[in-house]
Amino acid sequence: MPFSPKPHAALLIVGHGSTENPDSSTPYFDHAKKIRERGVFSEVHCCFWKEEPSMREALYMIDAEEVYIVPDFISEGYFTQDVIPREFELDGPTTKRHGKTLHYCGPVGIHPSMTSLILQRTSEVAPEVPPEETTLFIVGHGTGLNKNSTKAIKDQVELIRSLPENKFASVQDTYMEEPPFIADWSTLADTPNVIVVPFFIADGLHSYQDIPVMLGFEKEEGLAASQKDVFRNNPYHLNNKTLYYSAAIGTDPMMANVILDQISTFDATHAIAHH
Amino acid sequence: MLLMPSLTTRLTQALASGIHQIGQIRILQNPLRLHHIDDADDLDSLEVHTDPDDAREIGLYSPDGTYRFTKGELSLKRGWIFELQTMDELRRTIDLFYPASLGLWKAQEDGTIQIQNLREKLGRQTGMYRHANTVSDSGAQELVKSLCGPSNKCVKKILWHLDSDLPLDDSEASRFNGIVGQATQETAIPMVCQEACNFFVAQARKKSKEEFDAREL
Repeated sequence: MPFSPKPHAALLIVGHGSTENPDSSTPYFDHAKKIRERGVFSEVHCCFWKEEPSMREALYMIDAEEVYIVPDFISEGYFTQDVIPREFELDGPTTKRHGKTLHYCGPVGIHPSMTSLILQRTSEVAPEVPPEETTLFIVGHGTGLNKNSTKAIKDQVELIRSLPENKFASVQDTYMEEPPFIADWSTLADTPNVIVVPFFIADGLHSYQDIPVMLGFEKEEGLAASQKDVFRNNPYHLNNKTLYYSAAIGTDPMMANVILDQISTFDATHAIAHH
Repeated sequence: MLLMPSLTTRLTQALASGIHQIGQIRILQNPLRLHHIDDADDLDSLEVHTDPDDAREIGLYSPDGTYRFTKGELSLKRGWIFELQTMDELRRTIDLFYPASLGLWKAQEDGTIQIQNLREKLGRQTGMYRHANTVSDSGAQELVKSLCGPSNKCVKKILWHLDSDLPLDDSEASRFNGIVGQATQETAIPMVCQEACNFFVAQARKKSKEEFDAREL
């Protein structure tokens, strides 16, 4: 999707952040850097729920009067519908507050361009594998608390299935904590090859350890010496199948484009004139 | 609308007037450099950085390897020096070491800062933090003394009160002026805290639960 530069506006990427795992906020800074280098905004910043700057502090670091706020979250839910609007005191898609005009975009994970990103990721993780003999699993957390997080994954699965260029024998949504369970991957897949893409914003315990344990190529005790090795040792030969495991989709450098796509979609939806 | 000077302009003016420190960072001019205040005696031995983005990596862990998720911590690693080209780069580097510190300082000087007292901050929490505001006044005062201020490694000056009619108890934390070491208001940009951080909120939730459990026993 082409992006119209906004030299008078600032971009503020909102992430969850963590008080335990510094890796979890690395992708946000990577995406911010990438967008900053393109020079399409006057300023690009990140802010967080669990790290600094907080959402409450972030607007103080911005000179621009117009600010696009993009939640780097995987789905609509408690954070995008409750916490972020509350912290920024938003009252709609565009809010005028403290001398600034704040545009609140949708979370990156629900944007249709995530679909092509997932397909691109599969071809990077398993370039030589014939898709006709391959099952693609998109794996999410899954929980009874937020149906939206599973909806975002189901939507992506449907979108991929509907694409004419999709050649995978099967595309399935799976979850860590609700059926269909990713732990059952070898019975869910009829094909000799399997690609697993975690539908998470950042790598962390779920992608380093929990899902690898459920897939069967990591042991439960302790972490791998280098956590990121789990993504480097492809393919894994398990249960008479060949398995390729991807890093969390949110760490892909192309996520920067999805952030910009969400802004273009916001402008188109709310008829914001380009500068 | 009145056009406000940019943060970069304000930083430039502050440096021209003699400001040369923020938090544990010393700012040198001509050429533009940044280093830890305790490294002033041996600049030649420091590891040189030219990319502002390196500041995030340096600020991630304290010297003992602890993850610094609150960046106002008085635990910044030593051994580095930034050699920068522009004031914009300087601003970005400082914002990665001490996020939003420059903006909050400017807003406080301009009188535009929005200060939120603790009761209001806790009262607007939802989800798992919705009961944080049941913490007692004395429990909240204890939290300030045990979490905030330089002896608990936070170098920010607290601007908020417990409530509009209830100031913080006198303590090192409530008295701290946001300036580290020997620097003064004439030579350092103070780091300010306009409302309790989310780590404080999480601890208030824990404290209120402890108080509840103690009452039930």
